Amino acid sequence: MKLLRNRFEFSAFHFWFIILSVFIVAGVVAGVIIFREGLQVTNLTDLVPWGLWITIDLSAIALSAGAFSLCAVVYLLGLKQYQPVARTATFIGLLGYSVAMLCLLMDLGQPLRAWHGFVYWNTHSVLWEVTMCVGLYFTVLLLETMPIIGDYKWMRKYFPGMAGRLSFVTHYAPFLAIAGLGLSMLHQSSLGATYGVIKARPIWYRPDLSVLFIISAVAGGISLTLLATMLSARFYPRIKVNDHLLERLAFVVGWVLVGYLYFRFWDGFAMTYTYQPGKTEGLQMITTGVLAFNFWIGEILLGIVIPIIILLVARFRENPLLRMVALALVVGGVVAYRWDVNLAGQLITLTYLPQEIAARYTAYVPSMIEAIYGAGVVAFGILAFILGVRYLNVIDHGVVEEEVQEAPQVVAATD
Amino acid sequence: MTEKTIGRRDFLKVLALGTATATGFRIARKTAASEPTGSSPHQWAMVIDQAKCTGCESCNLACKAHNDVPPDISWNCVIETESVGNRKVFLPRPCMHCEHAPCVEVCPVGASYYRSDGIVMMDYDRCIGCRYCEVACPYNARAFNWKDFDEPNPTVPTWGQPEVERRERGVVEKCSFCYQRIDRGLSLGLTPGVDEEATPACVVACRVGARVFGDLNDENSEVSQLLRENPHYRLREDLGTGPRVYYLPAREEVEG
Repeated sequence: MKLLRNRFEFSAFHFWFIILSVFIVAGVVAGVIIFREGLQVTNLTDLVPWGLWITIDLSAIALSAGAFSLCAVVYLLGLKQYQPVARTATFIGLLGYSVAMLCLLMDLGQPLRAWHGFVYWNTHSVLWEVTMCVGLYFTVLLLETMPIIGDYKWMRKYFPGMAGRLSFVTHYAPFLAIAGLGLSMLHQSSLGATYGVIKARPIWYRPDLSVLFIISAVAGGISLTLLATMLSARFYPRIKVNDHLLERLAFVVGWVLVGYLYFRFWDGFAMTYTYQPGKTEGLQMITTGVLAFNFWIGEILLGIVIPIIILLVARFRENPLLRMVALALVVGGVVAYRWDVNLAGQLITLTYLPQEIAARYTAYVPSMIEAIYGAGVVAFGILAFILGVRYLNVIDHGVVEEEVQEAPQVVAATD
Repeated sequence: MTEKTIGRRDFLKVLALGTATATGFRIARKTAASEPTGSSPHQWAMVIDQAKCTGCESCNLACKAHNDVPPDISWNCVIETESVGNRKVFLPRPCMHCEHAPCVEVCPVGASYYRSDGIVMMDYDRCIGCRYCEVACPYNARAFNWKDFDEPNPTVPTWGQPEVERRERGVVEKCSFCYQRIDRGLSLGLTPGVDEEATPACVVACRVGARVFGDLNDENSEVSQLLRENPHYRLREDLGTGPRVYYLPAREEVEG
């Protein structure tokens, strides 16, 4: 009904719909050009073969980690009251992995052979393991999202049988949560190991990356879920959110960030003791070189320290606006971390010349078409989420309201 | 309740079916591409004498012609390094054909693999172009085909005739020790490293005899003798990759 009433007035939704659609159309055009012309249209080189798209891909996967963490909280730890938040996280996860796959597909020199990863196995390869896990986990996410589709009014009306079957998947949620937890733990940390096993790029060659990747993913993933929920509640007054749940989870994110900060510092400064060719230069580039602003301001100050303060001090955390700022900063910090990791090892490579095993500096700035395609893919993710909020009810904390014993205050966020 | 139980059973059935399908795929596809090292009677290796190399690039050009390499890619680049006395020293760098090749380990689809004679090979029909091997190779021996190569090869016919298929856009390519010459030569009863027909094009093209190719398993092969009698080194031995390309360092006195 609300929909009908809104149909003729130009709302914020229409504005964003048009803006995002423009980005998506531009992205599709860029995609067609890249598909036809090949990767020569990018600024990638043989020394820096992974660039902006890999960063988007890594970030999207990291920011989808809310799905497995919150599903584990609900179905394995048995904290059922968080189920509606897990539902939102699952949907975000599905979109995040779609974004990642769209980026990866463009990044492959032979996109039509993407299926090779599932058929030709090299069990030694971390990237093979990531491919399998991402593929299987995407299936898990699809199954986990089915009840959301089954609940869609239109489905219920026109395909009640199908809708019933889709909704029935809820009964397997605990199994799916276990599968999701296993697959996610594997590939989220293996994405770090993808870099960590590469001896040829000294700054990457260390075991810590796996730990950092998974812990930052949990912080970033839950943050994005909370942020998206709070933002949607502001845009759609009809959406019922339980601010108590969001506040509790934000508190958890605060502590996860403390762990992340500890590991990031330990990881970074454990490298400073001796001079190791390539590794030391890589660390210098991060702390004082071209990536320094990104590291100190983007990752540490804005991405970790300020959010920790806001999220762990009750007075700040309870202010919805401040909390949203903190969550947004965490998301930005995780993206900055992925960008730094990806570039650090590629901008500094070691020569193999016998008399001077020294660091060699390379450069990379994404080309316009890389940026347009990347923006298009991200816009697709955002638009799909907005549509999900609008039509699929992916945020609805009213669902289990009656089931929760303590009856926490349900706040219909206004303004 | 009963419906629920059956549902769960169905779910598990679907799961089992999925696993079976995946396993079926695994069994149906041809077995692991890499052959066990050493099952071949030969272990190919290359020795490059930096004292003799003049940096003329003949090896690189011959390589480009025989392997139909596009102009913007070199499988075999020649790098000017330092000076000994007042002589420039060069470092020709083919693929090292490592015993423990990072590229083979990381390739998600097994498109890089070991031949039993030690050659690290590329299956260009299997490569998906993810470029993980490029990141992993410490020697930058790998090059990605960023664009199509449709033009005539400028090094043909001056430096030789193509002996292998051109690679398509979107795959990574690299030196193969001219496996096509080795395999054909062996089938004709020739000895790689001795008979030109059976020896990598770069070795044949070298005017000053700086490159020597042969079988490490044959004690009398020239490579075995050179390595026995001369101080030699390999690139980035600290990484434990075990390259099959050996260098004889440049010396003040150049013999022969």
